[in-house]
Amino acid sequence: MSDRFIRWCRSAAGVTILLSILLAVIATIDRGPYILVNTAITGGMLALVAVGLALLLGVMNVASFVHGEYFMIGTLVAYYVFTPLQNFLNTNPSPLLAMVAPLIAILAAAVAGAAAGALTEIMVFAPMRRRSRENWVMNSFLLTVGLAVLLINGHLLIFGADFKGIVRYWAGAPVTIMDVFISRDRLFAFLLSIIVILAFWVFMKTTRTGRAIRAVSQDETGSLMVGINLSAILIFTMALGCSLAAVAGASLLFLYPSYPTVGLEALYMAWFIVILVGLGNIIGALTGGFMVALLKVLTVEYIGSGWDFVVPTALIILVLIFKPSGIFGSEVRGVLDQ
Amino acid sequence: MNAFDKLLRQLNLTPAGVLGLAVLAVLPFIPPFNQEYLIRWLIAAALIAAGAIAFDFTAGFINIVNFGFYAILGLGGYTSAILSVNVGLTPWIGVFIGAAAAGVLGFLTGLLTLRLRGIFAAVMAWFVGLALMGLATKMVWLTRGPLGLRTPRLFDTASNIPYYYLILLLMLVTYIICSRVVASKVGIAFKAIGQNMDAAKTSGINPTYYRIINFTLSCTLAGLLGGFYAHYYGILTPDIMHTSKTVEVLAVAYIGGRGSLWGGAAIAFPFILAMELVRSGLSNLPGLNLILYGLLLILVMIYYPGGFAKFFDAYIRHPKNRALNYFLNGASVRT
Amino acid sequence: MLLEVNNLNAGYGFLQILWDVSIEIDVGEFVCIVGPNGAGKSTTMKTIAGLITPSSGQILFKGEPIHGIGGHRVTRKGIAFVSEEMNLFTNMSVQENLLMGAYILDDKSLIQRRMNEIYDIFPRLGERKSQLAGTMSGGERKMLAIGRGLMSDPALLMVDEPSFGLAPQLTASVFDALETLVQGGLTILLVEQNVTKTLSVTHRGYVLENGRIGLAGKSADLACDPHVRKVFLGV
Repeated sequence: MSDRFIRWCRSAAGVTILLSILLAVIATIDRGPYILVNTAITGGMLALVAVGLALLLGVMNVASFVHGEYFMIGTLVAYYVFTPLQNFLNTNPSPLLAMVAPLIAILAAAVAGAAAGALTEIMVFAPMRRRSRENWVMNSFLLTVGLAVLLINGHLLIFGADFKGIVRYWAGAPVTIMDVFISRDRLFAFLLSIIVILAFWVFMKTTRTGRAIRAVSQDETGSLMVGINLSAILIFTMALGCSLAAVAGASLLFLYPSYPTVGLEALYMAWFIVILVGLGNIIGALTGGFMVALLKVLTVEYIGSGWDFVVPTALIILVLIFKPSGIFGSEVRGVLDQ
Repeated sequence: MNAFDKLLRQLNLTPAGVLGLAVLAVLPFIPPFNQEYLIRWLIAAALIAAGAIAFDFTAGFINIVNFGFYAILGLGGYTSAILSVNVGLTPWIGVFIGAAAAGVLGFLTGLLTLRLRGIFAAVMAWFVGLALMGLATKMVWLTRGPLGLRTPRLFDTASNIPYYYLILLLMLVTYIICSRVVASKVGIAFKAIGQNMDAAKTSGINPTYYRIINFTLSCTLAGLLGGFYAHYYGILTPDIMHTSKTVEVLAVAYIGGRGSLWGGAAIAFPFILAMELVRSGLSNLPGLNLILYGLLLILVMIYYPGGFAKFFDAYIRHPKNRALNYFLNGASVRT
Repeated sequence: MLLEVNNLNAGYGFLQILWDVSIEIDVGEFVCIVGPNGAGKSTTMKTIAGLITPSSGQILFKGEPIHGIGGHRVTRKGIAFVSEEMNLFTNMSVQENLLMGAYILDDKSLIQRRMNEIYDIFPRLGERKSQLAGTMSGGERKMLAIGRGLMSDPALLMVDEPSFGLAPQLTASVFDALETLVQGGLTILLVEQNVTKTLSVTHRGYVLENGRIGLAGKSADLACDPHVRKVFLGV
């Protein structure tokens, strides 16, 4: 056991994870525990978006440029579900409804995200797959570019460019943990991300459908041979991945109001994570979410906001020079051409 | 073959192409195109057309989408602009230094990413672009950030016409350079890499080497166009490096037809003019023109990934009529 | 008839590989298809398995047409296909691969029983339940692929080139396992390069040449046929 642990510590994954923890501890001592809190919240939600992206890469072989738009759909749906509920509460106070209203909003976003994802697969990817699989990776990528343009401007056209945000989901005094005040929204967002990640993990490892999704990602022909309904699994995967992004968007509505391009940052960050840990590596994406969040928080803290594209990019390029398949190794075959 | 045909062959142009260029050349004098705002649209279209050619040079041949295309184009623009503002260098030299800078960055990016699989390289180029845009935004002391850098213009006139001819010339030069390279021995290697990596490798082609050549050249041309952009619009903001700009060129290049070079350039003019009409005519419906963009890109990708150029090659290119055939293909080469 | 293939034409895109192929298999039979490289043996199997849609012709399984219904439905009808490339799930353990093989079964106790049977036939798999499929040797993977095919409790098992790339000793054990399965009542369609060995264990055979069925008959007769001897055995 200790042998394996030492070997893990010396692997690329081990070194990066340990280094990240060390950095987080130093920064926390230096600047205060809010560094840790911010990392945990953003990290959990980034992990959700990145896991979806990794799923699409691993299972459908789609490098999605549109994934951030499902995050955007999540913020939009949560806003339009939560605001009327809140207005209703203002005139008819009800503690019970005040408790569940945010949950209703997030659940609605999850359902809408899943529906949008399933529709995307049925209306866009499936016809393309039927027509030709030639040059699939590049063509599907360009397709998602077109889809992203469509959805961003669809939002602009229908809902306008203004910020559609909320002040908070939950009223009430912030919670104190270890002498740090954490708003209820932030605490809930963190807890929700952990719950969703755990549920996702259990689903993938133990259920029949979860196993089928992994099987498709490892060998598509093999999965047909054992009787897996490929098109159903693809629709389900897309719905699942997009739903995760929508949940992240909905949970963070108090931080990021809904506007047409709100998904782009989530998309950039998710791609940072996926490239950093290795394409299609789902487990890696979970860890990577927290690492990139830490990097972002530290950059903003020590260098200044606005640099959070420059510093992570530089770092990722450095990592990739030494480890082109990402720190955790890629599950998508043929990262390198040679 | 007469001298005219020989010249055309040298330049990889067809009589139809020459006619198209001639129409573009006289367009600013034909109503309604003689209005300044329409000439501005034409300039924007020609810039996109030239960009689409340089973009297709990588996307259509080595099958790598340079997602940081406009960031690198912007680097060329910023280099030239900063040189002229801070050092007082004339833009006519500055644009070439800008192009060189873009080429160097393209070379370095290529060195880093081009041994990776195509999609990986695309995303890495995108990150480099994002980082560049971040730098341009944050290095306010040099670039004035989002406030915008005022740049000297190339011509000392308020008229748009000289700029129009300059960008047409740039477009033509871009096309000729790209098509000559593509027709050369190097170009065959490009195509081999883009179409079948394994076969290319077994026949002794080093993919990374050729990809880097390709990428560097494309980025250099982008940098040159960036110089034009900077000294035409007279103001430069980090927005020039935005991904949405790259998406615009990408859409035009792919709808026009990958691997054709001319396809994107040919459709850029009607396409951009139509888009501008939608945008200005239906200004109460913001984003509608971009929705059409996205929709068209999706439809082309699903139903006709070869784009306009493939359609043209399949249905229009080879008419029975000999004169028409000459018009569309130029004189045939006797072997 | 368990399986009836009538006048099958199939291929990849414009490249036609199979021309008017007809095959019949009865319950409990051990049938082989032999033929030179590129004759279309694997294509025949992939078409029956539903991985390739035929351009014309009929495939009837238990009297029902199964062509063009999709690979996963063919499996549900009771045909298991073990391909030459095996198509294992390399990042899953032996046990998980076998579980995936039983994807179409709902009965937990039946799945457990099948798994125990397979560990009986291939004890090596039982010793390596938690090893990842991708890290196993070629012979072990072949066993796992056959085991995975058997997990779905098929009426017909199709095995493509089980001996390919295996040491002679391992080949013998794979053939032994197949013979045991036939004795247990399973119907098997086998494609093999090793013609002598194949014709000695199977009941009947088809000779496929250039995408057409050239000869068909009892395996023992085919083994004596001058044409077969000339083409495959070089005598």
